[in-house]
Amino acid sequence: MARKPSDYQSDIWNDWCPGCGDFGIVAAMYRAFSELDLPPEKTVIVSGIGCSGKTPHFVKVNGVHTLHGRAIPFATGIKLANPELTVIVNGGDGDLLGIGVGHFVALGRRNIDLTIILHNNTVYGLTKGQASPTLRRGLRPKALPKPNIQDAVNPVSLALASGFTFVARGYSMMTEHLKELIKEAIQHKGAALIDVLQPCVTYDNIHTVEYYKKRVYKLEDTGWNPKVEKIEEKEEKIVKAWMKSQEYDDKIPIGVFYQDPHTPSFEERIKERIPSYLETPPARQKIEREGKTIIDSEAFRKIFSYYIVETE
Amino acid sequence: MFNRLSIIIGGPQGAGLETSAQILTYSLAYLRYGVISDREYFSNIKGRHSYVHFNISSEQIPTSLTYPVQLIAALDHETVFTHFDSLEEGGVITYDVFTEEKTLDTTPSMEEDLKIRLRKIFKELGIDGSIKSLVRYISEDKKIHSVPLNYSEIINEAAKKLVLPASQAARYVSSIIIGAVSGLTNVKKKAIEYSLARRFYDRPELAQQNKVIVETVYDKVVREHGPILELAPSKLNHREMMIVSGNDIVAMAKTVGGVRFQSYYPITPAADESFTIESYEKLEVDGLEIGSILVLQTEDEIAAITSAIGAALTGARASTSTSGPGFSLMVEGLGWAGMNEAPVVITYYQRGGPSTGLPTRGSQSDLLFTLYASHGEFPRIVLASGDHLEAFYDAIEAFNLAERYQTPVIHLLDKFLANSIVTLPVPDLSNINIDRGLIIHNGGADYKRFNLSTTISPRAFIGSNCIMWYTGDEHNELGHIDEDPENREKMYRKRMEKIKIADEEIPEEKRLTYYGPEDADVLLVGWGFVKGVALDALKTLAVKGIRTAYLHIRMFSPFPSKSVEKLLERFDKSKVITVEHNYLAQAGKAILINTGVRITKEVVKYTGRPIYLNELVDGVLKILKGEDRVVLTYGP
Ligand SMILES: Cc1ncc(C[n+]2csc(CCOP(=O)(O)OP(=O)(O)O)c2C)c(N)n1
Ligand code: SF4
Ligand SMILES: [Mg+2]
Repeated sequence: MARKPSDYQSDIWNDWCPGCGDFGIVAAMYRAFSELDLPPEKTVIVSGIGCSGKTPHFVKVNGVHTLHGRAIPFATGIKLANPELTVIVNGGDGDLLGIGVGHFVALGRRNIDLTIILHNNTVYGLTKGQASPTLRRGLRPKALPKPNIQDAVNPVSLALASGFTFVARGYSMMTEHLKELIKEAIQHKGAALIDVLQPCVTYDNIHTVEYYKKRVYKLEDTGWNPKVEKIEEKEEKIVKAWMKSQEYDDKIPIGVFYQDPHTPSFEERIKERIPSYLETPPARQKIEREGKTIIDSEAFRKIFSYYIVETE
Repeated sequence: MFNRLSIIIGGPQGAGLETSAQILTYSLAYLRYGVISDREYFSNIKGRHSYVHFNISSEQIPTSLTYPVQLIAALDHETVFTHFDSLEEGGVITYDVFTEEKTLDTTPSMEEDLKIRLRKIFKELGIDGSIKSLVRYISEDKKIHSVPLNYSEIINEAAKKLVLPASQAARYVSSIIIGAVSGLTNVKKKAIEYSLARRFYDRPELAQQNKVIVETVYDKVVREHGPILELAPSKLNHREMMIVSGNDIVAMAKTVGGVRFQSYYPITPAADESFTIESYEKLEVDGLEIGSILVLQTEDEIAAITSAIGAALTGARASTSTSGPGFSLMVEGLGWAGMNEAPVVITYYQRGGPSTGLPTRGSQSDLLFTLYASHGEFPRIVLASGDHLEAFYDAIEAFNLAERYQTPVIHLLDKFLANSIVTLPVPDLSNINIDRGLIIHNGGADYKRFNLSTTISPRAFIGSNCIMWYTGDEHNELGHIDEDPENREKMYRKRMEKIKIADEEIPEEKRLTYYGPEDADVLLVGWGFVKGVALDALKTLAVKGIRTAYLHIRMFSPFPSKSVEKLLERFDKSKVITVEHNYLAQAGKAILINTGVRITKEVVKYTGRPIYLNELVDGVLKILKGEDRVVLTYGP
């Protein structure tokens, strides 16, 4: 029998502020997981530090709550060591685009089959409302003593520039839509970003539910086709998606901006070099026989013959 | 005939010196000589002075380097200027006659400091400072035998023979060094031929072209000078010898030890280890794959350690390899591994710090850092290897310990070891065990990763049949955040007590070794690369009638406190000396912290060059005359 959304709900009391957008994200995750019927023991949520970082504790699949900014490299190790796992990263905007932005870019370059759910609330929630890298210049959410004088980074544009092959934006209050995006992202073979607009009801008095309600519209309603149908189209599609990503004032598009199923995933690139990789990845190899190394003296001499000189 | 020879070959970086050293080492190994060589170089790709310092023996595998040397083979004049005073009386220098008019003023690559020192010396000696004047002086005053060679003539001659443009033949100029050294020491041509064929197995034409140069020079020096430094036939009788750097041997060990995920961010002197592992990513025996290793070059060292931890959580043996600046970045990740009882191995090649420091020179100044790095308290195991063979076994044991005690393990090495190339018998693999610790494959629905019913909880892998949580926050048995004071105390103690268990289980005799006579009067205490030179110093000091022993510490956490304390008690305090490559005598501090015993005598070196036998012996003698601290500085 397929697993229900509630099967993915852990027993941990959820300590996000009442009304926080994060609830919508986790609810969409339960439903997406259920519809994909993800086996909990083969699914891993990796998170950073922040309000968003707590996500894995609220979900009944493997959870790895890591360091501030480092969810992607932890997830990289998990996924590459055992590519049969479904690995999802939940991170804050400070986490993924501030302290951890180098890893975000590196993930794009590798195109590892990971799904990144970016909790974009324009603030550092857990440290009480400082400006996050997605807060636009001149704005002053209520905790800030002065208006922000740093420019914002656009997650969708950055993901496109970095090489992500699935780039989408969702809105935490539209859980049905977000659920679909999460499902698509998980099913996509490669690095997938979902930039989730997530109102922080406690510290962000600017990007409120009303704010987004007025602006958010669905790309698919405009006939947008995000898909790179043929690899030759890649350049054109990525440019279009990038232009679209710049639209962020009166109107904010949500949906899939870009999807390229052609660029090989990192796992496929490894397989090119190590053909047995997917069948026997690092986590599934036997490295000992009855407590002894599988490389005995004879094997050692054969493998490392380059270093061994037979004397005169 | 010589039973032992010290040789320096020198030249600008990027001129092929490393290849020459490799071919000479292969040839010597082929003839069953024992060899250790240290490579000294600047953080530079082309043009700065580099040299390889060999110690060759027909009687044993040497473990240390020493001065003075019997032979200097100079590819350029900077080598002559830099090393002329390292020659023993009666030694030999070979150099390019073309450089005879060169002076310090025409040696722009040399650092000003050395020029100032040399100018002073030249003035005192009353010479004009040209290579010619210098060679004349050492020939007359120090009875040095000079072997001038005309490099361009040799190259042109070879070019003619090979029907190659001279510019191309000139690329093999470092082969002149091979020819000169092998001719003067009477290393058989057959051995050189074998080594060239080996080195250039995929490009036989290069072997042939280099061979012509080598033989031209070989014949010339033998004809004109004879094998002045003829090596005695080797008394060693190995059928086979490995020739490995410290990086190589650790890479091999990890492979044997079952590493399946290795991450790294490039840094000297660690990166070569990862390259070597990567070249063996497919472990094949007779065309059959018996395993594979994923080597990942990450975007930084933070990603290196965190991805390795991630891989470890899934059950792969995982490690990363780095040096000081990289480890500094890894520190937060290290703490996460400690908090989450994750078995990750960090191979740490120390180099001169702080900051970028001496990026290509050796050091042992990070011991205290590794023992205490990262905030909060958590157990860690810190191993330190003294030579290539120890490094081999320790690199394997590091994984066993990491999995057995579910802690990060730091394997401390240094640049000296990383870049020194030795001949070594193939290590015995029969006693190597793979201990994966307490693993549960069938965790099931009730699995608790941090089960408190045992100090070391059974570890299930992510991806097995159960689910688990990990967090850097304090957590309960399930791995969920938990700040309750009682839980905090239990979890904290559970983690910390693992090191007590390790301390009880790992025999102290595996964590230290005492070398020398039981009734020695003097005790040297050291760790890491100091081992080789200390062992040779015991012999030299014994000849001088000083009964000396060496206490080698191989594990600093858990520290073998009882044995160290007991051993130190036996010695007169004024005759216990720590010997270390750092300023603070850090192992001495670690001993003080762990045993309460303060060692008051120290011989230290922090110039980035290895401790040489000659200076260590002198240093010990000075301490025995009453000095408390001797700072060694020998070596250019
Ligand atoms: C290395 C480090 N620096 C600083 C912090 C403190 N810190 C905790 S959460 C956080 C910011 C969280 O903001 P964001 O990533 O946007 O997540 P949110 O809480 O908004 O979901 C910071 C800076 C930390 N945990 N680690
Ligand atoms: S501070 Fe903001 S982001 Fe954090 S839980 Fe509260 S509402 Fe949500
Ligand atoms: Mg945030």
